[in-house]
Amino acid sequence: MIKNLKKVLPVLVLVGMVAAWFQASESTRRYLKHIGKQVPYLPYRYFI
Amino acid sequence: MSDYDVIVVGAGLGGLTTAALAAKSGMKTLVLEQSDIIGGCCSTFEVDGYKFDVGASIVEVIQPLERLFEMLGGKISDYLELIPCDPIYSFITDDGQRFSIPTDIDETTELVKRIAPEDVEGWHRFCDKGLSMIEEMMDAVMLSPMNTFSEAMQLGMKNPQILKFAPTFARTHQGVIRSFYKNPVMLQSAAFQSYFAGAPPELGSGVFGYIALSEHLGIYYPRGGMIGIPNGIAKAGMDYGLEIKVNQKVEKLLMENGTAFGVKLENGSEITAKLVVSNLNAQVTYLKLVGPHNLPGWAVKAIASYSNSMPCPMIYVGLDKKPDLEAHHTIVTSSLESMNDVWNNFYKMGIIPETAMSLVCWPTEADPSLAPEGRHILNFLCNAPAPYAPKGDNWDRLKGWYKDAAIKELETYVLPDARDHIEYIQVSTPLDFERRLLHPEGGIYGLFSDMTTLAMFRPRSRSKAVKNLYLTGSSTHLGGGVPTTVASGIVTAKYILKDFG
Repeated sequence: MIKNLKKVLPVLVLVGMVAAWFQASESTRRYLKHIGKQVPYLPYRYFI
Repeated sequence: MSDYDVIVVGAGLGGLTTAALAAKSGMKTLVLEQSDIIGGCCSTFEVDGYKFDVGASIVEVIQPLERLFEMLGGKISDYLELIPCDPIYSFITDDGQRFSIPTDIDETTELVKRIAPEDVEGWHRFCDKGLSMIEEMMDAVMLSPMNTFSEAMQLGMKNPQILKFAPTFARTHQGVIRSFYKNPVMLQSAAFQSYFAGAPPELGSGVFGYIALSEHLGIYYPRGGMIGIPNGIAKAGMDYGLEIKVNQKVEKLLMENGTAFGVKLENGSEITAKLVVSNLNAQVTYLKLVGPHNLPGWAVKAIASYSNSMPCPMIYVGLDKKPDLEAHHTIVTSSLESMNDVWNNFYKMGIIPETAMSLVCWPTEADPSLAPEGRHILNFLCNAPAPYAPKGDNWDRLKGWYKDAAIKELETYVLPDARDHIEYIQVSTPLDFERRLLHPEGGIYGLFSDMTTLAMFRPRSRSKAVKNLYLTGSSTHLGGGVPTTVASGIVTAKYILKDFG
């Protein structure tokens, strides 16, 4: 049961994220895109 | 043997604050300012008897200033006079409504009942949550070092009451104000302040959503112009031996084995010190004063990853007639949606917007001595934000056109016959700001502020990339603004005193 749940969980999370994206307003999508572009720099920014 | 203990590059509010506190602690301290006046964005210049403020137009949240002068052994009134400004703003909305927001919260409640009865309950919640947040976070967050997760955790453990406000930092400005208001006018009245932090309401951090409330704690104008604040800090520092030299442009930092030990001036002379504090924009500090060749690769990547806050062309006007205004600040606003739209479809595209918001400041309302008798001053931002590099053009060529657009805006909202009463007018474009204040791309609020550039993700006050280099000002923790840059100066001084005191 737990083994199956482990397999299904990532798929459920992905489906949830896709559903949330399509339900989000244009403004929220712009915000998420903006933050998404900044995230890769955070490990560098933390040390500067 | 070094010439000084501390050299501070730049006499902005952050630099002067750190310098004054270092001098108070007994350190031999020198401030070098490239311009002929101190204060940076918070300064005042005189032309034809008119005293115009360079950028900053009021001070709100005066607690960091109070704390600074206490640390310097005095109080604010020993060094400058702050004139209370009430009402906070006069609003002119896109549908033609005009109203003023008073400082007093009960009087504001009456106003909300009149213009947006459906939001009275939201206004009360905004006050309850916002005031407790401001009160509980003021000393804890504003004046505390927060360069690392460890410092943030220590802060949280010492002040567990502030942890409940942490989610606010991860929300957006518009997310916060929409949780309180539905009425479009109420939303407008609390949304435009996100641009004070250099970002549109949909991107700015939720913590800035409470700026509209912090203004009810009082807004003030220094007698004699905004330069009264840096002059006051400088005077307090000079009482402890602080030296300030103007017209001294620093070309680069003197470095050896990754350690800063002084500065080289544009005139070729060198001055050494145990440590250097830079009050310049962090990108200018690292990429020009230090130089990429003196930095590890990760540091170059980190500092280049920041974008600058938006530029704002300023228009300085001297009038021979009293303008038809009700408050120190008048805001010509448009809807929350258009404040975002102007960012996405104009500013980001390199187009100067025709509508968005204009902020008209009338300093002679508070202090008539700023202009010759019977004359008045208006300093204003017109249809902000505006791009640094307008598509297919540049600001030096657009100056005349922009001046005309500003006069039309004045004639529409402030003085119908403005053209006949203007004795002096000057436009300061993003290029002018870049040249005058060394702010890359004319960004007047330092680096762009959102949740990925706050606290420990903003350049550190104590550099990790260069030993004995410290930073202060709008590029560091808390960002641009009078109280925040003073607070950044206090935080930087705390690091220095811990390391060298």
